[in-house]
Amino acid sequence: MAWREDWRRVRAIARKDLTTELRGKAGFNAVVSLGVTILVLLGLALGPDAEALRNAAVGAVWLATLFSAVLAFNRSFQVELESGALESLLQYPGPRWTIYAGKLLGNLIFVTLMVAIVVAVGVVLFGVRIPDTWPTLLGILALGIVGLVVLGTFYASMASRSRAREVLLPLLLFPMLVPLLLAAATASKALLGADLMHEASAWIRLLAAYDLVFLIATFLAFEHVIEA
Amino acid sequence: MPASTPSSDPVLAPPPRTSLWLGLASVIALVTAQTHAILTSPPDADMGHLQKIMYVHVPAAWMTFIAFFVVLVFSVRYLWQRRENDDLLAASAAEVGATFNGLTLMLGMIWGRPAWGVWWVWDARLTSTLVLFLIFVGYLALRAFVDDTDQRARWSAAVGAIGAINVPIVYMSVTWWRTLHQPPSSPATLDAAYTLGLRLNAIALLLVLIYFIRKRYEIARLERATEHAAEAVAMGGR
Amino acid sequence: MIASNQTFIIAAYAVTWVVILAYLLRLVRKGGRARAEYERAVQLERQERQS
Repeated sequence: MAWREDWRRVRAIARKDLTTELRGKAGFNAVVSLGVTILVLLGLALGPDAEALRNAAVGAVWLATLFSAVLAFNRSFQVELESGALESLLQYPGPRWTIYAGKLLGNLIFVTLMVAIVVAVGVVLFGVRIPDTWPTLLGILALGIVGLVVLGTFYASMASRSRAREVLLPLLLFPMLVPLLLAAATASKALLGADLMHEASAWIRLLAAYDLVFLIATFLAFEHVIEA
Repeated sequence: MPASTPSSDPVLAPPPRTSLWLGLASVIALVTAQTHAILTSPPDADMGHLQKIMYVHVPAAWMTFIAFFVVLVFSVRYLWQRRENDDLLAASAAEVGATFNGLTLMLGMIWGRPAWGVWWVWDARLTSTLVLFLIFVGYLALRAFVDDTDQRARWSAAVGAIGAINVPIVYMSVTWWRTLHQPPSSPATLDAAYTLGLRLNAIALLLVLIYFIRKRYEIARLERATEHAAEAVAMGGR
Repeated sequence: MIASNQTFIIAAYAVTWVVILAYLLRLVRKGGRARAEYERAVQLERQERQS
């Protein structure tokens, strides 16, 4: 039954995260608005040629996602920082990994909802033609979101408590996301274009492996990182 | 409070001394290896004498990886045993590694300009080396912005270990990214005429790397020991 | 073509030595300062403990 207790703790942390002022409706709207703004700026900077925009669509959506997500990740630890709640959270009985899992779950939900809107806007602004293989595209998106949230939450747990959180989180996170970005972007472009399916499937397998490796690695490392 | 470390013991283990002779010997070895390579290597069929840059560029790249490997080993060791000296060694290797990494990039560009006509190409090796450099920089930035020594050590170790895990993944993904559209740009196999010179230069540069890391580690230990002594004085002695 | 190649070869070796010697200099200077500070601090601590 300890399992059920842990799972309840995970859900409680996630729920708490998602309902605070910073992350509630206003916070969500702000982060999504930022993502859309970035898309607009990219459209202006790379356009107006429709063909150029269509080629840039995948990259633009991912960049808008990355920059907006960074904000979301830092904020997911900010509440505890301001109220000193992190210490009390650590004092509660129960395994540490549930804190990490709770944060992950909260961020996963937040970022997924955010990406859904950013992708929709991106498809419209950049004139993307939706192919028959769109379910696979959604799968790639999902795998990408998982990797992004895992590493983002992990690095944010440190960066948000350092002296330079705004610059430190992207500086630490973005180089680590290179394989994820390459895999998601290249596979998506392959599916949107002439679609050499075997090309996309290799990248999808890389993405899945990447997600698994870092999910395990960050879970193991979180123990060492969360102590105040 | 962090777990007790050997350095919290008033009888401090004295910081190690790095012999200047090792430094001089490594520099002499490097000059010798480079001179030998430049004078004895025949011009390449495609690149002419440009191939001689390889004797500095490739060993620099290899040293970068070795340094990163040291960071990985001692980061993991710190997480396992929490010995402060392991953290200091990892940080020293990271600083030296970043330096060799920057050198590798510059030499790659200096080689690329006459070879390909441009200062930069997004080929697998250059791009991966650049990403690796950014990972190093992130590690060093983290250390710069965290003041608590225990927290800095734990976080650096976690970041160092997880960053190191990513290195082969980055290489693999960037290589795939390139080979899909273009064949590899730099020759993969090396003519036997060049390997001896390359190996000699690599060994010489390895001596330089070892000296740099040991010296940097000595400095880190000295600084830490000074801090501890100052703390002891501030607390009014024992 | 070969002449301009020579410029790049020289540049490569020059950059290599500049970086190595500059970093070496940095380490030696930092090392001297760190060693001096350490000796001073240990002296101070020894005095404190005796008093």
